[in-house]
Amino acid sequence: MSGEFSPSQTLNSFSGSAEPSRLRILVAEDNKPDRMILCALLQKLGHEVFEVSDGTAAVDQFHEVDPDIVLLDAMMPELDGLSAARQIKSMAGERLVPVIFLTALTDPKELARCLEAGGDDFLIKPFNRVILDAKLNALDRMRRLHQALAEQVDQVRQKNEQMLAEQKTARRVFDNIAHTGSLDAPNIRYHASPMSVFNGDVLFAATRPGGGSLVFLGDFTGHGLPAAIGAMPVAEIFYGMVGQGFGAAAILREINAKLRRILPVGMFCCGAMLETDSRQGLVRAWNGGLPDAWLLRGSGERVAIPSRNLPLGVQSAENFSTSMVVFQVTPGDHVLLMTDGFPESANEQGELLGESGVRQVLAGLRSPADAFDALMLRVREFTGQPEAADDLTLCCVAIPELEQARPSTRKPSDAEPIGPADWQCVYEIRERTLSEFNPLPLLLHICMEVPGLRSRSGEVYTLLSELYNNALEHGVLALSSDWKNSPRGFALYYEERQRRLSDTDGHFIRFSLSHESRDPGGRLRVICEDSGAGFDFAEHSARASKTRSIPGSSYAGRGLELLRRMATHFHVHGEGNRVEIVYDWEPGREDDD
Amino acid sequence: MIDQPHLDEAALAELRDVMEGDFGMLVDTFLADSRARLRHLHQLLEQKDSDQLAKTAHSFKGSCINMGATHLSKLCAQLERAGKAADLSAAARLLDGVEAEFAEVASCFEQL
Amino acid sequence: MPIAAHRVDDGQTLVIRVDGRFDFSTHQAFRDAYEQADPAIKRYVVDLSDTTYLDSSALGMLLLLRDHAGGDSARISIENCNSDVRRILSISNFEQLFRIC
Repeated sequence: MSGEFSPSQTLNSFSGSAEPSRLRILVAEDNKPDRMILCALLQKLGHEVFEVSDGTAAVDQFHEVDPDIVLLDAMMPELDGLSAARQIKSMAGERLVPVIFLTALTDPKELARCLEAGGDDFLIKPFNRVILDAKLNALDRMRRLHQALAEQVDQVRQKNEQMLAEQKTARRVFDNIAHTGSLDAPNIRYHASPMSVFNGDVLFAATRPGGGSLVFLGDFTGHGLPAAIGAMPVAEIFYGMVGQGFGAAAILREINAKLRRILPVGMFCCGAMLETDSRQGLVRAWNGGLPDAWLLRGSGERVAIPSRNLPLGVQSAENFSTSMVVFQVTPGDHVLLMTDGFPESANEQGELLGESGVRQVLAGLRSPADAFDALMLRVREFTGQPEAADDLTLCCVAIPELEQARPSTRKPSDAEPIGPADWQCVYEIRERTLSEFNPLPLLLHICMEVPGLRSRSGEVYTLLSELYNNALEHGVLALSSDWKNSPRGFALYYEERQRRLSDTDGHFIRFSLSHESRDPGGRLRVICEDSGAGFDFAEHSARASKTRSIPGSSYAGRGLELLRRMATHFHVHGEGNRVEIVYDWEPGREDDD
Repeated sequence: MIDQPHLDEAALAELRDVMEGDFGMLVDTFLADSRARLRHLHQLLEQKDSDQLAKTAHSFKGSCINMGATHLSKLCAQLERAGKAADLSAAARLLDGVEAEFAEVASCFEQL
Repeated sequence: MPIAAHRVDDGQTLVIRVDGRFDFSTHQAFRDAYEQADPAIKRYVVDLSDTTYLDSSALGMLLLLRDHAGGDSARISIENCNSDVRRILSISNFEQLFRIC
């Protein structure tokens, strides 16, 4: 639609050697012989002449004649030349219509007055053909130059309006993609720029199929259209992958790769990702280029989450690090994310609020729940402007009570209503793949091929993920979830998990999936086997019922309960390293009921 | 009294060239216009309207100079100054001079 | 001149000084400084002694320089940063890509 912008005529073409054009000239001269001579002269020079005998007539006929140049006698009866000139100039408005005064005056002061009245030049009687020709050409050149400039200004203005309109459209398209998320969840509070301003910040939130949420805050370099262009594929990646069961690390890797590919060198996205898992009572965070994020515990403790990674879109895939910081959290804890618009807010003296300003606000909080309001208030106070907040984004995620975390259902895609109903498959991952690859999205995808299971994606994902996590952590890695009872133990657990993951030689996890249709409905059977020594489910579930009150500690116990509750049948075979669940479903009774 | 030409030959030649076939009409218009102007000047003098007198003299000066009647236009300039100075007695004297010179100019034109 | 470049070390190193604000207004001059330099340059030094301010477009310019200088094999050091500039480079973790002193 919009092509290259090039001025209609280069200004350099206005040289003196341009061909003289045929001009429309309005002559107002009350002296008849003078008028006759002038008109004859003009016609001889090749121009089209319109003559009137006084100033009033000149003004009256100005619009109708629409001359290129006006010649006015300086002293006329009725409306004198100077007043006529003023009126004509104002009638011409933005257009430049040169006015030449015809005069027998020789007094320099009087001549100056003519020019001050708006005249562009004067022609002294007796009329001289050569001088008249030269002056007409010079003034016409000026007129055409002015017109070309005005056209360029017009074009620039139009292009500008067009670009603004395009930006608004881009913004609307972007909002349609971005707002399929769950930023309106009750535990998320946020402030983002108003619709009219696109400052390059994006904020996405989604609930994970197995429960818990994922929040991404991004700050693209630049403003407006270039930033919006980067944001759109990121939104698609984020929401698409979350729905399929991918976690923060995989999504970050994908976003980084995508941005590296599509953004020019030098453009990037500073971002932070937050993955909460309220069932396990933990939070994983990644910060690449944004100011410190903050974990505000209900106990009053404040933990900074500084940027430890390059912004997204800079690092190559091989060098990109998705390692995330893990924190144990309890309901009532809050996590704060913000873009640099916050510490960079300036007051009237040009001083910045700075990271120290943010820390001050946080230090003065009575409760983490107050953080959002306190920060918004502070930035408005500090800058003295209510709209200061236009260029910053702040998000506060509260860790919810466990009951609030329900497995969510992915919105049904435009997938086909027909799919495989009777099938089976075995998927086994071994050795190093165990530490490098999370099979859940793939397994979920296979199950989602069954149309009837699509509206139950939350439950299916939860079942698969419980089985997998059990098999991995308790089976293969032989970790005991007792460790997670204390904060120190919690950190140790994840350190040890990381360490043991680096040596998974000789191990495997095998999923056997099968589905048969039962018309109506169907039966999904999942067997999960691992190479571990076994896991005493019975003993663990007994212990779990005693330790239920300690948050995060009874993960395994809760997990088992979940499996028992969701599955139609639940068997543990052998040493505990072979778990089978049967999941029956019927049409018409779905996840959200 | 320096003997000056009443009409500038070069200016006349230029006029003929510009007006072509309309040269005669131009001369007639000028002569008729000028006679009316002279009558008007006498009236203004009687009315002692020195301001209008100056303006009319100025206008006459302009057309004279365009027609090549250089000396006549200088006399009109003097008349204009007298009018601006509200010197009516000087104006009266000058007006007579203008009339006389115009008569010469007119006869020069008629002889063309 | 906000951007000035000169060569040292027998012509093998190009030192680019940025005076004042290192932002979008210095974009073209900064690019010209290294693009128009001798292709035999092996090392780059970005001297920020007189740089008062650095924003994300400056970070972008540094990435462009790195790309020009060979990407992962580029040898670029960023020197004499004041504490504000250093902080910005640190938040973006640019020490993972550049030598910062």
